[in-house]
Amino acid sequence: MTASAQLQDVTFAYRPGCPVLAGVSLTVERGTFLAVAGPNGAGKSTLLNLLAGLLAPQAGTISIEAGDIRSYSRRDLARKVAVVRQESIPPFGFSVAETVMMARTPHYGPWGFESQRDRTLLAEALDATDTTQFAARPLADLSGGERQRVLIARALAQDTPILLLDEPTSFLDLKHQIEIYDLLKSIQRDKGRTIIAITHDINLAAQYCDQALMLQPYQGPDTCERSDPSDAATGQYRIGPPSAVFTPAGIEQAFGVRVFAAPVGRESVILPLGHLAADAGKIGLQQASDKATPSEPNKT
Amino acid sequence: MHRTLSPRTLLIRVASAAVVLVAVMLACALVGTERVSFVNALSGGSDPASPNPDFEILMHVRVPRIILAAIVGAALAGAGVTFQAVLRNPLADPYILGISSGAGLGAILAVIGGLNWTLFGRSPIAAFAFAGALGTVWLVWVVGRVTGKFHVTGLLLAGVVVNACFSAVIMFLTSIARSQEVHATIFWLMGNMAEEEFFVLWVSGGSVLAGLVALFFISPQLNALSFGPAEAQSMGVNVRRTQVVAFAVAAFITAVAVSLSGLIGFVGLIVPHAVRLVFGPDHRQLLPLSSLVGAVFLLLADTLARVVVAPAQLPVGVVTAMLGGPFFLVLLMRYNRKVCRLT
Repeated sequence: MTASAQLQDVTFAYRPGCPVLAGVSLTVERGTFLAVAGPNGAGKSTLLNLLAGLLAPQAGTISIEAGDIRSYSRRDLARKVAVVRQESIPPFGFSVAETVMMARTPHYGPWGFESQRDRTLLAEALDATDTTQFAARPLADLSGGERQRVLIARALAQDTPILLLDEPTSFLDLKHQIEIYDLLKSIQRDKGRTIIAITHDINLAAQYCDQALMLQPYQGPDTCERSDPSDAATGQYRIGPPSAVFTPAGIEQAFGVRVFAAPVGRESVILPLGHLAADAGKIGLQQASDKATPSEPNKT
Repeated sequence: MHRTLSPRTLLIRVASAAVVLVAVMLACALVGTERVSFVNALSGGSDPASPNPDFEILMHVRVPRIILAAIVGAALAGAGVTFQAVLRNPLADPYILGISSGAGLGAILAVIGGLNWTLFGRSPIAAFAFAGALGTVWLVWVVGRVTGKFHVTGLLLAGVVVNACFSAVIMFLTSIARSQEVHATIFWLMGNMAEEEFFVLWVSGGSVLAGLVALFFISPQLNALSFGPAEAQSMGVNVRRTQVVAFAVAAFITAVAVSLSGLIGFVGLIVPHAVRLVFGPDHRQLLPLSSLVGAVFLLLADTLARVVVAPAQLPVGVVTAMLGGPFFLVLLMRYNRKVCRLT
């Protein structure tokens, strides 16, 4: 196995002294489906933008497909990494086929037109995502689930070994969430792509992903002024198989909520408990205390 | 095979539009207060002793003005397409980044200053308007750039504020100027076509054409940029370079148009939308077709402007808005229905 993406001691801060990611080192093997979870502000999108080359780390190195990310031109990187962002609809009514074909823009000929190979990749991408039947329709006319499939098709047409997705299921109903995960899984399995997806849906991610990364926001003093970046709290992230990362205790710690966890067949489901849930305190604390997480004083 | 733009379709459509443009140019040359005949005009006007009136009217009055209208229309429509794409804003027009007020300020300064020299056959009004337009865009660009990396919103805001500020200065100068000067300025601000030297037409026509060709070569990138800078960059597009080229070239051809004919509204906003409604949003097609349609549209509007209340003339800007508005609304209703039926 070779590394598809590798981070070494990566530190990134939007403001000096306030790192969003501090000393992150991880390796994503080729052909892995990695789920990235964590509370808002933990740096999930930052990590995605670092891997996409839109941001550059202040410290540490990122390698993509065995090459330093800084050694790639914009165009070279677009041959390695494709990105699916949340709900992007342009102000003009591009059709589905036009949208997917745009992934080939850097490969157009001198007159700005696609080659036969570009058209083949377009047809394959539409086929793989089952979007061929609305190729001629305007993007804005599709439902959320259909549009998400089109944007995944565009990432496929870019023909890259790595796919990054930012919450690909966040606006979708249950059926379409499963549809997107099935699609991503088939892309991983049939095409051998590396998939890195930000998600808030821990239960689905646990069923589909091989690896999980849990990021946590830096818990520092309010001013977040720290003289020495090296005293960044370690253990701000955990990576491993989903069963090891998405534990009830791990989730309670990361998100600061109480959860209920139970096995369903061979799967394990985790549910957050709201403050108004009937007997919320009892159930939540029982489950949490099973995992021996220090928590609030027992109210029972 | 999935329907994306093929070079063949593009060529056919652009060639057809070019043929229409030439036909409209010829037809408009025959329209006017004086009847002229091409046959008489063809016999030439080389003999100064017995001037050929048909030739004189055609070659020194109508043809230069027709060419001028085509150049200005093409420049404004092409710049409108570009600004709408880069700013990702369907309401953008060539004047949105302060070009109009910058040019207006330059023009009124020239008028009030009572300058009466000429530069390459151009009045100081035109030269000052050109300088004012480019200077303002540069100012807006610098201000907008400070506000962020992908600074589209910053640019728009800077443009609006500079426009408001300069408009106030224009009004101030107008209120303290003498009435004769004011009239000249207001006429210029409304958009005014006049007969031009052929030399001026060649130079400005050449630079507008060069600008449009340059924009055509970044039109695939403009497509990707419609999805936003981050997405375009992930697709391998050099966003920074595309934005700089698009802004610089669009601002330049707008400034050329403004210095030729003052502020003509509506062409740069409406023509791109009309073409987009009928032919779709692909900029590889939208840009050349809009330029040609813009040329035809302004040519027709200017011909109306010079014959409707002849021998007096209307400001062409009045005609573009009065003619273009209803026409566009019809297109909007018609093609919206089609889109709805598809779904």
